[in-house]
Amino acid sequence: MAEVSALNWRAAAHWPPALQRLVWVIGALALSVLPHASHIQAWVLLLAAGAAALRVAIEVKRWELPPKWLRGVLAFVALLAVLLDYRTLNGIDAGTALLVLMAGMKLLETRTLRDLTVIVFLSYFALFAAFLYNQSLLRLPYMLVTAWLLTVTLMRIHQTTMSMSVREAVGITGKMFVQAVPLAILLFLLFPRLPGQFWAVVPSRGAATTGLSDEMSPGNVSELSLSSQLAFRAKFAGTLPPARERYWRGPVLHDFDGRTWRRRRDPFISQGVTATGPTYQYEVMLEPHQRRWIFALEVATRWPTGRVMRSSDLQLWSEASIATLSSFRLESATTYAVSGPLPRAMRVADLALPGGRNARSIALAREMRERAGSDAAFIAAVLAKFRDEEFFYTLEPPRLERDSVDDFLFNTRRGFCEHFASAFTMLARAAGIPARVVTGYQGGEYNPMSGYLLIRQSDAHAWSEVWLEDRGWVRVDPTAAIAPERIERGIEAALTESGESLPGDFLRRNALLSQLRLAWDAANTFWNSEVVAFGETQQRWLLERLNIGDADWEELGIGLVLTLIAFFAIMSAYLSWRFRPRPPDPLAQIYEQLCRKLARHGLPRAAHEGPSDYVARVLQARPELAQQLAEARNLYVALRYGPRSWGPQLNRSELSRLKFIVNQLKV
Amino acid sequence: MLARALAALRRRTRTWARKRHGIDPDPLLLSGRRIYIVPSSLGIAFALMLFAMFLGAMNYANNLALGLTFMLGALSLTAMHYAHRNLAGVHIRSAASEPVFAGQTARFRIALENDAKVARYELTIANEHGIAEPVRVEPGARVVLDLEVPAPQRGLLRLDSFEITTRHPFGMYRAWAYLNMDIRCVVYPKPGPRGLAPPPLETDTGGAQDTTRGDEDFAGLRAFHAGDSPRRIAWKAYAREQGLQVKQYAGTAVTSHSFDWDALSGLGTEARLSQLCRWIEDAHAAGRAFGLRLPGQEIAPNVGPGHRQRCLTALALFDEQTAHG
Repeated sequence: MAEVSALNWRAAAHWPPALQRLVWVIGALALSVLPHASHIQAWVLLLAAGAAALRVAIEVKRWELPPKWLRGVLAFVALLAVLLDYRTLNGIDAGTALLVLMAGMKLLETRTLRDLTVIVFLSYFALFAAFLYNQSLLRLPYMLVTAWLLTVTLMRIHQTTMSMSVREAVGITGKMFVQAVPLAILLFLLFPRLPGQFWAVVPSRGAATTGLSDEMSPGNVSELSLSSQLAFRAKFAGTLPPARERYWRGPVLHDFDGRTWRRRRDPFISQGVTATGPTYQYEVMLEPHQRRWIFALEVATRWPTGRVMRSSDLQLWSEASIATLSSFRLESATTYAVSGPLPRAMRVADLALPGGRNARSIALAREMRERAGSDAAFIAAVLAKFRDEEFFYTLEPPRLERDSVDDFLFNTRRGFCEHFASAFTMLARAAGIPARVVTGYQGGEYNPMSGYLLIRQSDAHAWSEVWLEDRGWVRVDPTAAIAPERIERGIEAALTESGESLPGDFLRRNALLSQLRLAWDAANTFWNSEVVAFGETQQRWLLERLNIGDADWEELGIGLVLTLIAFFAIMSAYLSWRFRPRPPDPLAQIYEQLCRKLARHGLPRAAHEGPSDYVARVLQARPELAQQLAEARNLYVALRYGPRSWGPQLNRSELSRLKFIVNQLKV
Repeated sequence: MLARALAALRRRTRTWARKRHGIDPDPLLLSGRRIYIVPSSLGIAFALMLFAMFLGAMNYANNLALGLTFMLGALSLTAMHYAHRNLAGVHIRSAASEPVFAGQTARFRIALENDAKVARYELTIANEHGIAEPVRVEPGARVVLDLEVPAPQRGLLRLDSFEITTRHPFGMYRAWAYLNMDIRCVVYPKPGPRGLAPPPLETDTGGAQDTTRGDEDFAGLRAFHAGDSPRRIAWKAYAREQGLQVKQYAGTAVTSHSFDWDALSGLGTEARLSQLCRWIEDAHAAGRAFGLRLPGQEIAPNVGPGHRQRCLTALALFDEQTAHG
């Protein structure tokens, strides 16, 4: 019967303190593990939950804790299981799994307050690890509240008799948080940031590679275009490039097997690039995509050397994979000239066609090239064919046969950018023009609130580049021929024509919701660029704003020390004010004064005497004081013991009258 | 090894603190300047965890993780101030400690008073013999804590230095102050064996009179106080509208023992005191009157707990030049 009542949730406040502590600590642990639920293996969570349930049962049923050897074996098995499943103990994934398991195991041996405290510490650590996975603004409130609740737990379990109510603990820790926040912010801003890492980051298995891949198979229906997830942001220093020039270069694909386009692993000889038109200075801020690609406008002409390199097919590569939100300052040109002739290896690669595939298309291309007379005329003819004949732009094209280009050109005639780029590139190669497929993004939505251009996964695009002897590499976008609005106004416009729609389209059409969405994005952009990406650069900028100028480590160190000193001084002053003694009771002061006065004349109050007895005794010795003392006594008794004796309603006039009598009293 | 070194270190700091502060007044207002504060083992574990978090956050260049680390660091520094303030400004006052017999455990009673507007949490006192259960002291309240010290021999037992300490708010810090208050507890001699029969009862001739208290002779009236026995209320006086009054008596024990130091010649000092103590205890338990005669001191025969206490205290302090403790 005792067990049943022990887990009655309504009576939680009357549970034995040990059980209350345990439940609080388990709750705190659960809250901090929750953000990991999506990327931790289910068996890890189940095991930890099982351990927690077992521990509560042990507490309620008063069973014995599992013996030490059993706990040792369990811990070892858990370690082994993590090692087997994750293949490593290093890295965030395995580390987090291990953390959760070990917290569960630790629960099974909690005997003392110290053990429980260690689990709260592990919970803090789990919260910390959750930030390594996700730093989004959306999560921040949850994380903050959880950190607070962990602290409440820490404070409550340290009260010997659990005498502190939840409300009180929430209040005190809340105050402590508010007091600690300024110091934390200053530490955050002033602490010297290091460029680079201490040790290599193991790429996370759980993080799926989103966005572009380095392959393209137009026969397989793409889901990429359907996601409105953000790919990256770009902020331009000057004017924005016009919408039709916003081609963001990603992987360049050379090898075609008749169905799939692939990247070339071995590099070509690089060619120099010079801008022939305006250049754009901008910053791209990439969402983590676990690849090394950096999406630059058309062709990058300047980039942070050391961290970034440009490949021979003009794509930018980061030194390390983009595992966190990363930003790069770049300069690009949309019109450019390539120096020198096309390297031989590249010419061979970009003219290659798989043997015995797409025969009808090859024949068509040769015939059209002969009729056109020049390469440029051939290209115009192919684009005209796409535009004038019955080709349709759709996101739901039929699947294609093995010879995908033949099937597309002569049968289905429905497709999106990949289909058109693939078909066009192959036709160009068949006509003897070196050609390649470029994948990346096209377009972007301008957010006037943040000044950023937002490029989403639905802006993913594929186009062609052909080598013309007199002009070098020339971009040709066959999709622009069939659906020009896709290039000018984005994918939604193209889909409106065909009657299809994007998810979240509703949000974009409603004016108010659209404003809200942009505002939320502006907040997110600020969060990402100023907080998440806060680094050496932002720190320097901030210090320059504060007129500290060229701050080095030494000055930052002095700043930190001064901050700490200020914090200590302010906290001391505040707390000594907060713990100041209560003002003494004015009535007690007056009575004390009266007693002292009488004591000076040989009539001290005995410890056991109340006011009536005392005054009665004094009056036996000094009957001449009867009038004054009797009134003083009556006032005192009324004020002290009367109906209004408590609180601030103490009668002011009676109190001052008493004061007057005592002051006037002449013994 | 480490534990022993720590204990030695502790003893030395305690001696040093006594030299530094001298004997404290009673009551004492604990000033902030004499409070020491160090991280507990949990605090050190927390600091190590923060350091690991810091390295991880810097390595992954993860600003939110770094922010959380700094937040927790700042929180622990805030907690340090709270631990210190929780102790500073407490009033410490000795409360009466019950006398004990030699060989028992003396229980020193120490009152902690909080005159601040906010509660103080998890206050406790400790010395080398043990630690009291931590208590919460509400604003304006007083809580009395017990500190146990073994009392091996009769006399005045002085409470050696003790500590007031707290681990509030998170158990990460231990804040404490060394106190050396002159608090004493009377230790009666240990009652001797029941072998020796007490001297026979004597009949008193009426010479020894205790005029203050007793049950025999009416000695007058005084005003009624709450707690007085209703049987002693002077109802006749009440009927005469003289207010509630209580009859007071002075008494004479008619027959009594006379416990005499000199009657126990042949025994050592402590053995004599033990024997006298045994007789007093037995006579008191039986409700018989007794008097006590020690060299240079004589207590007239009487009964009651006050009388017993006076006699036993006389035994405890007999020939006691210096308080030990």
